[in-house]
Amino acid sequence: MTPDISPTTAVSVENLTKIFKIGMTKKALVAVRDLSFKVNQGEVYGLIGPNGCGKSTTMKIMLGLVKATQGRTAIFGRNSEEVASRNNVGFLPENPYFYKHLSARETLHFYGKLCNMKGSELHDRAEAMLTLTGLTHAADRRVGGYSKGMLQRIGLAQALINEPRLLILDEPTAGVDPVGSRRIRDLILELKQRGATIVVTSHLLEQIQEVCDHVGIMSNGQMVKEGKLEDLISVGNQTEIILEDASPELLEQIRGLINKNDQQTKLVSLGKPRTTLEKLFLESTTQTGDQEPS
Amino acid sequence: MKHKLLVFALLIAICLSKLPLENSLTATLRRQKLLDTGLDLSMRESLGQMGFAASLGGLRSLIASISYLQSYTAFENLDWGTVDSLMTLTTRLQPTEPTYWEEASWHMAYNAASNYLNNNELRAAIRNKLFRDHVNRGISILDEGLRYLPDNPRLLMKLGDIYRDRKPDPKLAAEAYLNAYDHGAKSFYERMGAYELVKLNDRTSWEKAYAILKRYYDSGARYASIMRDLPILEAKLEIPVEKRVPVPTKAP
Amino acid sequence: MTESITTQKYKAFSVIRIWTLAANTVTQLLRMRILAFLTVFSLIAIAAGFSFPTMSPEQQLKLLKDVSFGSLQIFSIVIAIAATSILIPKDLEDRTLYTILSKPVPRYEYLIGKLLGVLLLIGGGLLIMDLILSAVIWIKQSLIITGQIAALKQEQSATPENVAAIKMIIGKYGLTWGVHAGVFAVFLKASVIAALSLLISSFASSTLFTIVVAFAFTIIGHGQQLLRDWFLHDTLSSGFGKIISGLVVIICPDLKLFDVVDKVITGEIISAVTLASMGGMATLYIVGYTATAYLFFVDKEL
Ligand SMILES: Nc1ncnc2c1ncn2[C@@H]1O[C@H](COP(=O)(O)OP(=O)(O)OP(=O)(O)O)[C@@H](O)[C@H]1O
Ligand SMILES: [Mg+2]
Repeated sequence: MTPDISPTTAVSVENLTKIFKIGMTKKALVAVRDLSFKVNQGEVYGLIGPNGCGKSTTMKIMLGLVKATQGRTAIFGRNSEEVASRNNVGFLPENPYFYKHLSARETLHFYGKLCNMKGSELHDRAEAMLTLTGLTHAADRRVGGYSKGMLQRIGLAQALINEPRLLILDEPTAGVDPVGSRRIRDLILELKQRGATIVVTSHLLEQIQEVCDHVGIMSNGQMVKEGKLEDLISVGNQTEIILEDASPELLEQIRGLINKNDQQTKLVSLGKPRTTLEKLFLESTTQTGDQEPS
Repeated sequence: MKHKLLVFALLIAICLSKLPLENSLTATLRRQKLLDTGLDLSMRESLGQMGFAASLGGLRSLIASISYLQSYTAFENLDWGTVDSLMTLTTRLQPTEPTYWEEASWHMAYNAASNYLNNNELRAAIRNKLFRDHVNRGISILDEGLRYLPDNPRLLMKLGDIYRDRKPDPKLAAEAYLNAYDHGAKSFYERMGAYELVKLNDRTSWEKAYAILKRYYDSGARYASIMRDLPILEAKLEIPVEKRVPVPTKAP
Repeated sequence: MTESITTQKYKAFSVIRIWTLAANTVTQLLRMRILAFLTVFSLIAIAAGFSFPTMSPEQQLKLLKDVSFGSLQIFSIVIAIAATSILIPKDLEDRTLYTILSKPVPRYEYLIGKLLGVLLLIGGGLLIMDLILSAVIWIKQSLIITGQIAALKQEQSATPENVAAIKMIIGKYGLTWGVHAGVFAVFLKASVIAALSLLISSFASSTLFTIVVAFAFTIIGHGQQLLRDWFLHDTLSSGFGKIISGLVVIICPDLKLFDVVDKVITGEIISAVTLASMGGMATLYIVGYTATAYLFFVDKEL
């Protein structure tokens, strides 16, 4: 277990195992099992898998909120158990919840100060984040009265308050309306362009497919498939042609062309494309999500 | 890990220094009389469980005030037995508070005693006995208080008052007053002691009284009582005429 | 996000972060209407101050102080226990801890911030109550003195000597520096109890458990002195009881050390040195309990 201090690695997870002792009987529950993966700087890494497969647990271990039973995680080369590893990180937990008595603006100021920001820098940054997440109109309302989607937005704003180099987003679009979730998708792409690294989970696979460079599919606490998105979802010897406004005549011509060609090429299917990540997901995971990991 | 070891070391240091520091601060507070004296366990009964717990928990003064208030109600109802027992509880709770002893003895020696004396439903012999009993009870309360607060001038003054007005016993009254003066009471009480000494029948007392009153006279005091008692003493002590104070021709 | 991503330097101990957490705790508790008792206190003080006009002046003043200090102590202890006990479990339940601790905030700063917040709240509350109490005592005392001087004048014995004597006697039972010293002692006691509650809540699984255990320790803490004397001076007995009592003596604070209120009420003087030693002792307890709380909290699974 040599610590990975390669300058291009943002997150490294090495042989991570997490066993929860639950209940009075201290029954062991293996939430994460010998998990290893790496996220390079500037990448958008999607972690997907059925409910209860250990995605959130992995993220919490990366942030030092939960202790690993075995193995280690590091952020920018620093062990997650060190507080300093969180210096350049923004985290949006699943179903985030904030101090009810604060307004959105006060919430951002609170988290900003925890990141040692202050003065006009903090003020400007907070306003920018309110605008970015579309909360300006509700900035002075108490967070206690926010809807789920609004909580998600303020959660994202607070994760971004200190301009983190690494963003860890646990289901950022859960409960957000379609327009909002499209905005979040655009935001992720924009942040990536500016050089940030992002680790994201979601059950909305189209979105993952749209934004991620790398994808890891987890099941029962283990990584079952991992790699570059294109590599994963492109079937090596197949080519997909997507046409718009194709006339039946044209399609017929194409069919003819294929048949005229040498024997090896044959038409497998012709029709509307499917979200292939979803197909892959269903193929590779055995866990159904409505059972405890064994 | 490094953090934890550091914290552990700190905790061990605190544990080691805790007891000695507690002991020394306790000793300091006791020396400065800022700490409660231990509470008699037999008081648990009179206080009840809650009151006892509260009195341990730093609310003794409050509990004392409450029992004092109760005794005040009993006083208004002329229920002297209850007044006595509640005032006893009060003084035991805060034995170093002079006003409680003072007031407890006052209730007995003055209020209760007079109330019995004026009670026409009782036979004269009984009335007198009850009067004397309660005056004595007042005295014993003060004696007990003086054990907690030795030479407290307030208590000595009150003791003098009771011996003078209620017993009456000029010898003990004089002793209490002069003792009070020696321990910080105002000069008035030294003269009160002297006036009591005048009432006695022995020469040493007269000489003592004369010395005191003459001293006040010489320093210019012309109180009526001095002007009344000095000639009496001069006569009793057979002071040569030329040394006697001039008797005013007209009463002042 | 600028072109060159700035790497902020991480500080292992930041007063700003602690202050942010503390200030937030204060507003959080204030929004819970936790200071409503201030009104109750004022009413109690005023009622105690102006009832029983037939009692002797000293007793009237003593009663006023007794009742006020009594409620002061009860309020501050209840707040210390209740407020501290709910803070951490609430953050855990609401998962606000996730977002706080995923910022570069060491867990000890979180604990210190929370405790400091509670102490600020109690301190502020006591300060206000001190002002109210002082005002009531002063008014009461002035009324009594004016009344007594008027009575002396009627008896034509209002000599400067007598007036001064009255002022001295009533003054001793009236407003003295000791009143503030007493409030300070109450604050110290409440602070120690708050730190103790923080420790308990760092490992307890429920708020109710924390509250009950903290109250139990508060009661035992008032008897620690007796137990300690017995433990140190009784060399005869040994065995299980001795071990248990030794443990209690080591763990428990000696809360009696802060019980100078009784004497303060009757005008006894506390020296600044004594007050400082009491403050030092309280600090020792607070540091000890907070450090222990940290040991429990640092490994806590969130
Ligand atoms: N604090 C905990 N105590 C006990 N078990 C836990 C704890 N946290 C998580 N688990 C268990 O660990 C397993 C993984 O949970 P985790 O929250 O990581 O799943 P997930 O992949 O995020 O699921 P979802 O998609 O529903 O968010 C689950 O079986 C869960 O019950
Ligand atoms: Mg999850």
